Amino acid sequence: MRLTRVGTATALTLKALVRRRIVLIMLVLIPSLFSGIVVLTTSERPIRFQLASLGDQAFVVVPQRHEGLVFICLAAVGLLTAFLALDLVQREVEVNRRLVLCGYRPGELIAARLGVLVGVIVVIAAYVVLIIPLFFTPQRLALVFVGLVLGGWVYGCYGLLAGAVFRRELEGILFVVLLTTIDAGWLQNPIYYAEAQNQAIIRSLPAYFPAQLGMAAAFTTEQVFRPVLGSLAYGAMLLLAASLVYAFRMRAGKR
Amino acid sequence: MSDSVLLDARHVTKSFGRLQVLTDANLVVRRGELVGVTGENGCGKTTLLKIVVGLLEPDAGELARHGRLGYCPQESLVFERLTVAENFAYFATGYGIGGWRPAMKRWVEFFGFGADADRLVDTLSGGTRQKLNLALALLHDPTVLLLDEPYAGFDWETYLRFWELAEVLRAEGRGVLVVSHFMYDQARLDRVCELREGVLTCV
Repeated sequence: MRLTRVGTATALTLKALVRRRIVLIMLVLIPSLFSGIVVLTTSERPIRFQLASLGDQAFVVVPQRHEGLVFICLAAVGLLTAFLALDLVQREVEVNRRLVLCGYRPGELIAARLGVLVGVIVVIAAYVVLIIPLFFTPQRLALVFVGLVLGGWVYGCYGLLAGAVFRRELEGILFVVLLTTIDAGWLQNPIYYAEAQNQAIIRSLPAYFPAQLGMAAAFTTEQVFRPVLGSLAYGAMLLLAASLVYAFRMRAGKR
Repeated sequence: MSDSVLLDARHVTKSFGRLQVLTDANLVVRRGELVGVTGENGCGKTTLLKIVVGLLEPDAGELARHGRLGYCPQESLVFERLTVAENFAYFATGYGIGGWRPAMKRWVEFFGFGADADRLVDTLSGGTRQKLNLALALLHDPTVLLLDEPYAGFDWETYLRFWELAEVLRAEGRGVLVVSHFMYDQARLDRVCELREGVLTCV
């Protein structure tokens, strides 16, 4: 892998992305909109829920609005990064195949997309984490930020995989919408989780570790080592799968 | 493969499902040779070229390539949200060309779109995009040039410049393969191959 090629591809991918104003506007608008809806539709009534990563007997009691905000911010970051990653891989795929003919390795192209994605995740997470203190003060804001970044990491890698697997936009979008809606937007909400059956299914989904990290950071002082490692490992597995599929798809001789 | 042979495709067969596109096709491009492949729309010319370039795998057959390949696809495969110069930078890095600006200057001036170097590709006309598409294939000084409908969208002057260039490349000992569905300029070519019902006949 040549760093010059990765560097050029990263810089130019980022330039092309920044020139898409509507995308940038959506990146700002969607978390604000989601948070606004939560604030308007929730109350300050205390709710009690279980945090799976803290053990079966550990319950947290916080206002509904606070729990809803943290949950929706995690979902917003996951959703946005998954779509962005999907787009980064699917957009101009034939031009990228031409680049492979010109000497780029598929690994260099995916590394460039990953570089851009990580940068965007950090920016989105930094913006989103600033929304939360407008409504309440989380116990550990810095760790909530880490939770948002790792939520973006896991779902970004999932988006890269979806983009590598599906040639067409619609299939990729459906694949992303399906999982992010069910997982990040529903099952990982601890209020649902507390009473759910077959919790092992929920624990095996991509947003589990980042959601646990975000919630534990916002509402407890418990150690969060396991969800951090779990998120990193989950994302890395998805990234490995995405890289393999992408390399296979982009190699010469394949359509 | 003899030293003069730059491209040698032998017994190439390709089908998509039940549709047999190429049957036992043989194609050779030598140094200093201008070869044309012609045929009706949809007869498999682009498929043949994609196989020769390495974008598609044949079902059967052998391929040998010698030297640096320059490939100009039928559609303008360039980055829409980057400028002309940024596209040159992207491709030049792939080719491993450090000082790419002189090469860019040479080709944008040759094709007459030097004034567009800092414009975003999605603001260019179709013809200018096609010029960029072709210029990117020439950037690394290829030994053999594979062109799929290269002059679609060119104005008359650029069209003539294109043939002038093809003749210069031939004189320099490079090989040029031009794919087109109509070949007005058969007299300019050293050999013409016609693809009909999957069978390639070269004269």
